[in-house]
Amino acid sequence: MNQLSIAALVFVLFLGGLFVYVAEDIPAFGDPDSAPNRYVKLFDMDATGLVEDLDQGVIPASLNAKIEAVGLPLPSGVAKLKEGEWEAVIIPEETKQHFYPKEQKYYFIAKEGDELWVYRYSLYMRFVEEGAHETEVPNMVTYILADYRSYDTLGETTVIFTAGVAVLLLLRRTGKRPE
Amino acid sequence: MPSKDTDTGTGKGRSIIVETVTRLMVPFIQLFALYVIIHGAGGPGGGFQGGVIFASSFVLYVVAFGIVKAGNRFSERANIVLFSTGVYLYAGVGLLCILFSYGVAQFLNYGYIPLTHHFEENRALGMDLVEVGIGITVMAVITSIFFNLVWKREEVGEREGED
Repeated sequence: MNQLSIAALVFVLFLGGLFVYVAEDIPAFGDPDSAPNRYVKLFDMDATGLVEDLDQGVIPASLNAKIEAVGLPLPSGVAKLKEGEWEAVIIPEETKQHFYPKEQKYYFIAKEGDELWVYRYSLYMRFVEEGAHETEVPNMVTYILADYRSYDTLGETTVIFTAGVAVLLLLRRTGKRPE
Repeated sequence: MPSKDTDTGTGKGRSIIVETVTRLMVPFIQLFALYVIIHGAGGPGGGFQGGVIFASSFVLYVVAFGIVKAGNRFSERANIVLFSTGVYLYAGVGLLCILFSYGVAQFLNYGYIPLTHHFEENRALGMDLVEVGIGITVMAVITSIFFNLVWKREEVGEREGED
């Protein structure tokens, strides 16, 4: 092996190691604490007297009123995740159950000190609603493709690169050829 | 099917109209391709589309002038360098993000590259850089595939001619 091949090998190994390391860093699918999956915060409210209701699976009327004031659908049930964290779900009507999951995780409620912070789950709503001012790019397709899903796009570019290398190896004009 | 002479770049069987129109069209197609790449963030378009449009200008050149003349203009060696450059530009932007986000390892989180003072604008600029990388790779790979296919056909023709 000449020096150039060794340098290329080291470079490729370095890049490969980098990509493996970075892929290890990607959070598990559906992890609510991951950066892209983080909630959109809706509002906060006083927590006094509401925690017990939420623990028992009852949605307090004041919380419902606040959600209605924002203009979002009302949750149908609450489940406790761990101490001070709840998850409100919406069960869609009978007719829509063929098209949607039977249970949509919709709101995430966390107790922060004396306040309840109400978030809205959902990755795609974050893309649609928050993307334009999180990235300063008006084109939704571009910011999803090149920013939120950029690791995927890097892979796509690598696939095209690999296709080019394969064609080059098979059909290259110059170089050694059996006579 | 065109005769062998039209492909080998001898100038036989050429149309002056096709050549002139091509000479006029190629720079405009390339300009449009650059426009599509650069405006990927603001309008429809992006690296993949722009790269394909850029490659199509070389395809048009080959159709009009033959592979020999086109091969002199756009060497294969440069092509090979270009198509890894694009991927390295993309991965390099990701690496820069890791370097500038000290200890957090935010791969491809363009906001950390200190191009401007605003996190969001950095993200927009990082996206543009990445689109340029994609554009270079797609352009070089499609041109390379097309050139190699045409070379192959011509070579087979030459060998048949020798017999």
